Amino acid sequence: MANQIVEKFKNKKALSRLKSQDKEAFIEAYDENVDDIHRFVYFKIGSKEEANDLTSMIFLKTWNHIQTNSLEDSKTLRALLYKIARNTIIDYYRETSNKITASLDDEDNKIEVIDEKIDPQTRIDQEADLERIKSKLPLLKEEYREVIIMRFINDLTLEEIADISGKKIGNIRVLIHRALSALKTLVEADNKATDNKANDKL
Amino acid sequence: MSDKDLIAKLNKLKTITPDLGWKVSNRELLLSQISNSGAHELSAWEVFVINLGSLAKAITRPVYALGVFALVLISGSLFSHQIFKDAKPNDSLYIARIISEQARINTVINPEERNKLAVQFVTERAKEISTVLANPEFNNEANQDQVAKLNTSLNQEINNVKSRISYLNVKKDSEKNTEDGTVLATGTDIVTIASELKDEAGIELLNKTEENEPALNVIATTSPVKATSDLEEGVASLTEVASSTEVVNSLSGPDVAIEEVEKLLENKNYNEAANKLKEIGEMIK
Repeated sequence: MANQIVEKFKNKKALSRLKSQDKEAFIEAYDENVDDIHRFVYFKIGSKEEANDLTSMIFLKTWNHIQTNSLEDSKTLRALLYKIARNTIIDYYRETSNKITASLDDEDNKIEVIDEKIDPQTRIDQEADLERIKSKLPLLKEEYREVIIMRFINDLTLEEIADISGKKIGNIRVLIHRALSALKTLVEADNKATDNKANDKL
Repeated sequence: MSDKDLIAKLNKLKTITPDLGWKVSNRELLLSQISNSGAHELSAWEVFVINLGSLAKAITRPVYALGVFALVLISGSLFSHQIFKDAKPNDSLYIARIISEQARINTVINPEERNKLAVQFVTERAKEISTVLANPEFNNEANQDQVAKLNTSLNQEINNVKSRISYLNVKKDSEKNTEDGTVLATGTDIVTIASELKDEAGIELLNKTEENEPALNVIATTSPVKATSDLEEGVASLTEVASSTEVVNSLSGPDVAIEEVEKLLENKNYNEAANKLKEIGEMIK
């Protein structure tokens, strides 16, 4: 219970400081959340450059929202950032009429597995696995991709995801289960296709 | 691929982060934009007020408020007895005293101790009511209604004491130890023992049971009776004790005392009744 009170105190303090137009509070909020928000946007829209622009917009919108609105409904700053991020992405989709269908095959954002204990071949295999998963994410339904990013990549709790999406925790659990199944099906199908290609070549 | 493997691989995608150069330049850009809209450094006072407000919001959740309320209730019920213990019947705080006593009783886990405590409280209250009724300044024509109410309360308290004492006696009886041959028997049990002895030794006994005779507790030694002479002695001692009206065992003391209280109250002898109730309270401790 003490931990909960401390967490709640920190959250309330952060929001109150931002409401009071505290510059330091903004810097702290930015440093703590920019990686997660940028990653969330990137996996949703697929382009790093666009993700940079949208992330800037999200932080500015959050600042303005805090100044002009009561914060009674906001539990945490993080939840508020994600809600604004979701809305900003929806606006982006509307403006561009372009939902991502291509894979996230971005040369500038290649995944590197840095583990000195494993041998080079294993490292290459792991990197290939990760690239495969990364490429399959855009093929998922919008809500499946969203919960996977929030839960397994950005480590949000079920309560946070429920708060951000406006759904019940039970529904979120079901959604996560279905999303994982769908992604697994895509990845396994891709593995099989890759193996078949290799066998055909031989 | 299992779910666990898939989740582990998804976790590794956390390594995808924005470019550091972009992060730094973007931060500066945003800072300059919000500064134009009034962003500033907070003063120490503003920080203090924010901290206080945030703490208040953090702890004012219903469950925490309920916890604080429960704490106040429990500590109040435990300590309020000290405040109200001097409240007398007919005082405005008397009901508060009864409530605090009840709360204190409810905090005792052991049922026997709880009952003892209840008997002490009830006996004390009955004694005080008797004392008030014994006061001629209160007990007069002008206060007939209040006197009647107090009399009713007193009767209720006496009945309460009787039932609690009975419970305590039943508990004590069930814990009697007969392994060492020492038997605590009531008056009716004497007849049973005597009958058994009669069956064994062929000795005829007189069964004496008079009506309205108070129950007697006797101590009878039932060490193994091997010889006929021992048996005759045992029976003789039993008969002698059974015919005595002397109460030997103090377990029936409160029982008898409470009946004496009832008789005294019937005769409106409130002072004596109050003294007897005080004795009962001492017996129970």
